Amino acid sequence: MKDLKHLIYFENLLQDAQNELVTKAVEDGKYALGYNCFYIPEVLLNLPGCFSSRLRAPRCSSSEVANYYMTTRNCPYVRSILERAIEGGYNYLNALFGAESCAAMERMEEHFDLLHPVKNDKFFVTIMDPPMKGDKTNLNYYKVELMKNLVNPLRDNLGVDVSDKAMRQAIEEHNELCRVITEIGNFRKLPNPPITGYEFHVIQLVSEVCPHYLILPYLKETLEELKTREPEPEFPFRAKVVVVGSEIDDPEFTKLIETCGAMVAADRYCFGSFPGREQIEIREGESAFDAICRHYLYWSQCARFMDGEKIDQRHREVEHLVKEFGADGVIFENMKFCEFWSYEKILASHIFINELNIPCCTIEKEYALGSVGQLRTRFQAFIESLEIKNIQGGA
Amino acid sequence: MKITDKLIASIDKKLERFDPIWQAEHGTGGQRSRYYDKTGVEKYREWRGVKDTMYDYSQWLKNLGSMGLMVGRNPVRVVKGMWEYRWMGSYLGTFIFINRLFEGYRGVELRIAHMNMHQIVASLTRLIGRVLANDKRLGGGPISDTMVPMDEVIPPLFMKGFKELTGIPLQLLPEFIICDIDQHLPPHYIDVSESFGLAADVCSRCSVETGVAFDDAFPIFGKAFLTTNMPCNASECTSMFQRRRINLPDMPMTFAMQHNTKEGNEFSVEVLKDAVNFVEEQYGVKYDWDNLFKYAKELNEQNTIEMEKWEFFKTPYSPLSGISETLYKLYEWAASNGTEHRFTKNDRKVIKIMRKCYDEKYKAFGGKTRHRAFMWGPSAVYYTDMPTWCQNCWGITLVLNMDSTMGHNMISTEDPDQAIKDLARMSEKAVMRHHAVGGWENVNALWDWAKAFNCDMILFNDNIACKGMNGVHAVMEEQARELGLHFIFIEHDLEDYRACPRRDMRKCVSNYMSIVLNEEPLDPTLVDFDDSEAY
Amino acid sequence: MKKGLKITSKVLGKLLIAGLIGFIVTFTVYMFNLENKLIYYVIRPFLNKHYDSQVRDKRIV
Repeated sequence: MKDLKHLIYFENLLQDAQNELVTKAVEDGKYALGYNCFYIPEVLLNLPGCFSSRLRAPRCSSSEVANYYMTTRNCPYVRSILERAIEGGYNYLNALFGAESCAAMERMEEHFDLLHPVKNDKFFVTIMDPPMKGDKTNLNYYKVELMKNLVNPLRDNLGVDVSDKAMRQAIEEHNELCRVITEIGNFRKLPNPPITGYEFHVIQLVSEVCPHYLILPYLKETLEELKTREPEPEFPFRAKVVVVGSEIDDPEFTKLIETCGAMVAADRYCFGSFPGREQIEIREGESAFDAICRHYLYWSQCARFMDGEKIDQRHREVEHLVKEFGADGVIFENMKFCEFWSYEKILASHIFINELNIPCCTIEKEYALGSVGQLRTRFQAFIESLEIKNIQGGA
Repeated sequence: MKITDKLIASIDKKLERFDPIWQAEHGTGGQRSRYYDKTGVEKYREWRGVKDTMYDYSQWLKNLGSMGLMVGRNPVRVVKGMWEYRWMGSYLGTFIFINRLFEGYRGVELRIAHMNMHQIVASLTRLIGRVLANDKRLGGGPISDTMVPMDEVIPPLFMKGFKELTGIPLQLLPEFIICDIDQHLPPHYIDVSESFGLAADVCSRCSVETGVAFDDAFPIFGKAFLTTNMPCNASECTSMFQRRRINLPDMPMTFAMQHNTKEGNEFSVEVLKDAVNFVEEQYGVKYDWDNLFKYAKELNEQNTIEMEKWEFFKTPYSPLSGISETLYKLYEWAASNGTEHRFTKNDRKVIKIMRKCYDEKYKAFGGKTRHRAFMWGPSAVYYTDMPTWCQNCWGITLVLNMDSTMGHNMISTEDPDQAIKDLARMSEKAVMRHHAVGGWENVNALWDWAKAFNCDMILFNDNIACKGMNGVHAVMEEQARELGLHFIFIEHDLEDYRACPRRDMRKCVSNYMSIVLNEEPLDPTLVDFDDSEAY
Repeated sequence: MKKGLKITSKVLGKLLIAGLIGFIVTFTVYMFNLENKLIYYVIRPFLNKHYDSQVRDKRIV
């Protein structure tokens, strides 16, 4: 296929947390608001005068100082983020909105407060207590926590307009971005898509780490380009897979899978578009804030949800993606030292394989994609098994 | 009377060479000399002088009696249970466990230790008997369907509002208690869960719980299951498996993780209300506040006494410390939680003794205490008998353990609205959870605890699989340095002794004591020994 | 009366002897840690053998 016009530009934007668009937005006088987790609604960080920045630590090859603080026995994602913070990589931030979604994440976010690694006078940290069930009691608590730890600090510390009107505007802009990303992503449903999983991963990531108002024109242009982009004469992959798991913010991981022969047709992981790019609907009589809370609680697929309904929902959602995107199987990833996804991995793979009849390959990975030999072998073997299954007529 | 005393004194004098403390003082042996190598089995029991040995013997008989009673009440079920469940076999290690825990104890501290331990034994044997008698796997029983399996970290007092029902902490028998008694049990269940693909780096306690579920080794009873998000991430995950394996309608009680906030407490109240509704629906019963109040009074009295105990702990004149304090409090809170009057009665007796000791300026452990330590340690404290070893080997008195600091607020005994708030507050600060989640300030409280209890040392059990505590590793160390406290990290893998053997755990302390503090051990036989095959 | 006393003292004597024997036996068991030796070296290995040979319904859910 012909290269996408902006792909190299997008790739470059992913080389640093403070990329040129982030710098531009800061120069425009916008507040840069960092976050790590889906529990923090991205849309609220894009209220007028602000922009969201989902924290990544690109090119982080070692996290020695963070290892000192958090030991080597902790999640490599959080260690890498802390390391990058200590290196001064997030000095553009005005705030970090954290969530005690897991112990490691919470401790890492606390270090932003304890060590003061972000050299920015206005910088502050809040950490919310996110819900663990999808019921009304938990929805109410989610609202209370978001109001206390996100909305009110935005208003009080930074003077941000948090009115219903401002939130409606933020939702509108957010929905616009989601619509574009979803449209781009939907090309992956085609039997021979004009976009690869890798390309989509890059596009999705830039939409999360760049100021929306600055990246949106590029995304729209890319969407238009894709509408007329000629795919390869024949589908160049041997299979299609859905990738499921925790933080995957390195498109090289997707590339690795694709070089092994399977197109990543859908991305159901933290930093992926499922969930994340669903449009927010404000129901009749509902405030914008309530709609946001309801939306994020409903769509969150986090492995920490404990109630049967949410547990089933996250498995159903994967099943739905497999069907919708015509995938042959699932690659289930978890970050090393991640309690939630380690457990979820064995439960989900059991359900996929034994109850939903979906082939599933489980892997554990480091944050930085270092030696990939083992992973490559696993992927190749899995893809081969999918291929054989397809040849045998799905038996 | 005087003649008896004289006779006893003369026998004591004659037999003193068999007393391990005397042996250590005179360089002829010590506590470890009595053991078969590696096993943790004593060749003979500790000679503590006539009075203390006879007292210890009488308590051994008493505990034996409780066990006999359990078997006598339903011998068939107990035998069936022993045959069915691997974890039941581990309870046979209880006597060895008790022996090790009270090694070197004399006089008042021995008496209090046994008084406390006997309550645990009596309560536990009753609980085992009751569970086995109603376990549907073994044929069921009269209250099988009115029992409510609930997570071990949910305070049992809450269930007392259901007069017709019996709340049973489900994991308590197969995992929570027994893993403190027998270090060889957890690896079996850990291996089972890992054989299904569970990562080896998750918390071993939770891995054991998961293994028990996979191994189909939970007793079966009840009509609905109460799970919880307490205390930590891995524990939340185990519930996901248990709910499917146990296959009963379930309700996760997801208390606020950030439990120092008004909003968090209000949320936890709602969670409790939801749980009340759930149990009412599932079992067709009504929550009875008066019944709750009755037992809340018990718990309040226990907590009032506990607060008074703490005042004595702050002084050098407390005969209650170390394992006999922390294990008792852990059990009293997590397993009984005001639901058994025996603990209140025992507390009343113990506090009387403590008051007397304070008045008489009694110095426990022969006045050999060199350091007063606050301990931060969960179950690896118990199966390793770490506090007792610290006392006997290095003269470190474990004044208080983190397990003793969990929810000790009073519960209203008149107003349901206030009572549920109090219950929520207490639940949020449950075992292992009080400090481990909810933000840095809860960990940071450690220094205040240590200061308040006049400790010069902190023994910090460093669970290699605990992501939350690993996350504050360096900050803790830096703060200890700033505050000038002796701070010892004791690396352990909670319930998996294979990763961090207890011998290595002891080395963490011994190295600090000998290299950093340049101190000599009280009992050289305890400094380094192999007990890898011990329970 | 005398006969009654005789019987009582006989019973008491027997009880005393039984108590003494009971004490000697239990104290010997206690002092030489015999019950734990029996459990550690005989009962637990036997039980472990049994547990290891059990066929359990091992599965995830």
